[in-house]
Amino acid sequence: MEAVQSMVRIRSGNQMVAEGALRAGCKFFAGYPITPASGIYKLMIDMLPGRGGVALSAPDEISALAYCVGASLRGQKAMTATSGPGWALMIETVQYALMTETPVVIAMVQRLGPSTGGATQNAQGDVLLVEHCTSGGYTIPVFTPSTPIECYELTHIAFTWSELLRTPVVVMLDKEVGMTSEDIDYMTIHDLTTLSRQRSIQRDNGKNGAMDTYYFENPEDVPSFVPVGGQIKATVTGSAHNKAGKLQKNSPETLEVLYHLQKKIDAHANQMELVKRDLQDGARTLILSYGITARTAREAVRRIRNNNGKVSWLNVLSLFPVPANKIRASLHNIERIIIPEENFGGQYRSVLCNVFDKQEIVGVNKLGAMITPDEIIAKVV
Amino acid sequence: MSMQEKLIETYLIDGVKFPFCKGCGHTHSVRYLDKALTLLQRHPSKVNLVSDIGCIGLVDALFSDIHTVHTTHGRSTAFATGIELADSILYDSDLKTIVILGDGGATIGLLHIVQAALLNVDITVIVCNNYLYGMTGGQHSSFTPFEMVTTTTPSGSIVPPMDVCKVAESCEGGFIARVLATDKNLHEILAQAIEYPGFAMVEILEMCPEYGLKYGGVDGKKLKEIVDRENKELGVLVHRKDREEFSSLYKKSIDKNSFDAILKKSDKTIQQEFTSSLEKEIGVVIAGTAGERVQLSSYILLQAAIGSGLHATQKNDNPVTQGSGFSLSEVIISPRDIYYTGIEIPQYVVITSADGLREITANGLLSGCSDETFLLVDSSLHLENVKGKIVHVPLRQTFGPDRAAVGGIGIFIWASGIIPRESFEREIKIKFPKEAEKIIGSVYQLTNQIIFSENA
Repeated sequence: MEAVQSMVRIRSGNQMVAEGALRAGCKFFAGYPITPASGIYKLMIDMLPGRGGVALSAPDEISALAYCVGASLRGQKAMTATSGPGWALMIETVQYALMTETPVVIAMVQRLGPSTGGATQNAQGDVLLVEHCTSGGYTIPVFTPSTPIECYELTHIAFTWSELLRTPVVVMLDKEVGMTSEDIDYMTIHDLTTLSRQRSIQRDNGKNGAMDTYYFENPEDVPSFVPVGGQIKATVTGSAHNKAGKLQKNSPETLEVLYHLQKKIDAHANQMELVKRDLQDGARTLILSYGITARTAREAVRRIRNNNGKVSWLNVLSLFPVPANKIRASLHNIERIIIPEENFGGQYRSVLCNVFDKQEIVGVNKLGAMITPDEIIAKVV
Repeated sequence: MSMQEKLIETYLIDGVKFPFCKGCGHTHSVRYLDKALTLLQRHPSKVNLVSDIGCIGLVDALFSDIHTVHTTHGRSTAFATGIELADSILYDSDLKTIVILGDGGATIGLLHIVQAALLNVDITVIVCNNYLYGMTGGQHSSFTPFEMVTTTTPSGSIVPPMDVCKVAESCEGGFIARVLATDKNLHEILAQAIEYPGFAMVEILEMCPEYGLKYGGVDGKKLKEIVDRENKELGVLVHRKDREEFSSLYKKSIDKNSFDAILKKSDKTIQQEFTSSLEKEIGVVIAGTAGERVQLSSYILLQAAIGSGLHATQKNDNPVTQGSGFSLSEVIISPRDIYYTGIEIPQYVVITSADGLREITANGLLSGCSDETFLLVDSSLHLENVKGKIVHVPLRQTFGPDRAAVGGIGIFIWASGIIPRESFEREIKIKFPKEAEKIIGSVYQLTNQIIFSENA
């Protein structure tokens, strides 16, 4: 048989989020329509039930995410998709998923804000709203694709980390990445390993053979999963609790659980680091970007190099936890870092300040329209 | 239950101590819920209690071996719905999920109850209605009776209370009952509700001794008076046998064939049968009226370009109303990888209607044209102060409004030569099989006229 050289299809970022979720074993989707994320909802309704899953409509975004968290508590991989206004409604339930250590993936397709903003206008203005949505300042892992293939791969990876860490994970697109269609070659997609959720086995904790729902030995360990409805009793709560899931105020064990929720993520931060790099020998400027502006930045790099200029490019795929090691390792001889973002004031730039020690940091920021390659080039000296 | 198994006498923890105030209706409700469970004798792993916020939210800790999920305020019903949907559809299991919440939780989470009733999802919602928010200091709720004094209605409530049973009934909830916490048959009604295959709701009328009694003067007698005055019927109000439970309906509704057809369609790949001599990236803007197939036609251009071995991107825009006003597509075609997906200077512009012209004038695409831009414009339109080479063609008249965009794209392909015509023909024959020949014929004719007039 002749080897298949290419397998070209037209896909949008939204479509590839849906396909990545299916590949990752997502079995439950609840959605509520919102531009520019509705494409994911529609695709999951079209594709998931035929593959043995459930995809249904929720009456609002609060219900959509709560249905997903419920399905995940029962033991299934679940996802929903939304944009800024819907995310605002979901924050309560994101925190619940974090506190109850319930895996769930949210595809967040950004549009112009604040408030209803502009439904069909692009923005990268929800970076901090997504990352800092918890009381207590816990890390929400966030992945930021810039192409349809990255949408596929990072959605798959988001499920993997959500399952491994038992925590909500966000795949954050923007309207341009989500709704722009292009040719992609399926033969270039990396084959990724799909994980099933690690289930708890009956373990005697010395309390009449009962099982602590949130049992861990070291704070950075992730408890194995006890499904609601399984043979072992699950005690789930969004209130401060001990390892048994019992509501407690300020007991040493409860505080240990609260620290554990962050420590389990910190302990895996190095492994989660994901960037794409195109570093050039002799370059003194690095353009650091994510999402749609990574593509704009890459075009700027192409033009600069075509004119015999030197410049390096870094595309951050794992926005949070901040991939500080991989960023620092890209700074050899770099004096100036340009960070283009389609938001007001440079949200990720403000986060990165403590990653750089001596470089000059320059933002390119714009609202309501795409940053152009030339606007980035203008900042390269 | 087999005869050998021991009867479960209680599902509560050993030596249970109720955390509620003396005389609180919650204690009654929880005891009766336990009694209902002992009537049913379900294995504890097949019972799941989802609790809410407020005093009644403390209930999960009182039960011993059943699953418990303590949630956020009002969201209990939504989490329970998700658990139940996964359980019954993806596991085909028979976990019984019971939600217990107060009148505050039922108010803030009313939409979740409404949706659960509409779906007729197999959960039981127990609303412990003590007419106010007890835990936070006796504030009134949407269930507070008219004229009742609470800490936030010091002159008595001037707003009528919500009847949650009527709400659930209007949402076609399958089993609805209202009872007093002191009713002797409460456990039987709760057991009926739990066993009901579909959405069941039991509103238990209670009294808060701390605020209802001390502050509002509502004792057992007054509670009965309120019930009578509001004409609230007690007992089983709705018990429908004509409503199918959601999960079985859902499973039946899955048409494997239609899903296979969708998958087959989306799996279709584009074969590269043609080659193009295009050397640099170009931006094409197609602007027209919503509902006139502008974006679909642009997709044909995308397919034709990709079928010719080129890379291409497409992004669309239209007003939020979808079917009125303008419709716009921006297509980039390139022999190399496309990074930046915006169009800085359009090389080709096709405008089929006044809506399209207005939009690209407003958003700056038109003013971004250069002297080299080639604009193919419907004959009815007048362009002012636009750079580039403008050619007027009777697109709407020749092709009709719905085919003006595809006709314009055809002429652009014929005239520019950037994509082999055969590639466009292949796609158009798939998309518009009956009209393909006519469209291609008109494209050929109009293109020749343009070239002829240029040469003349």
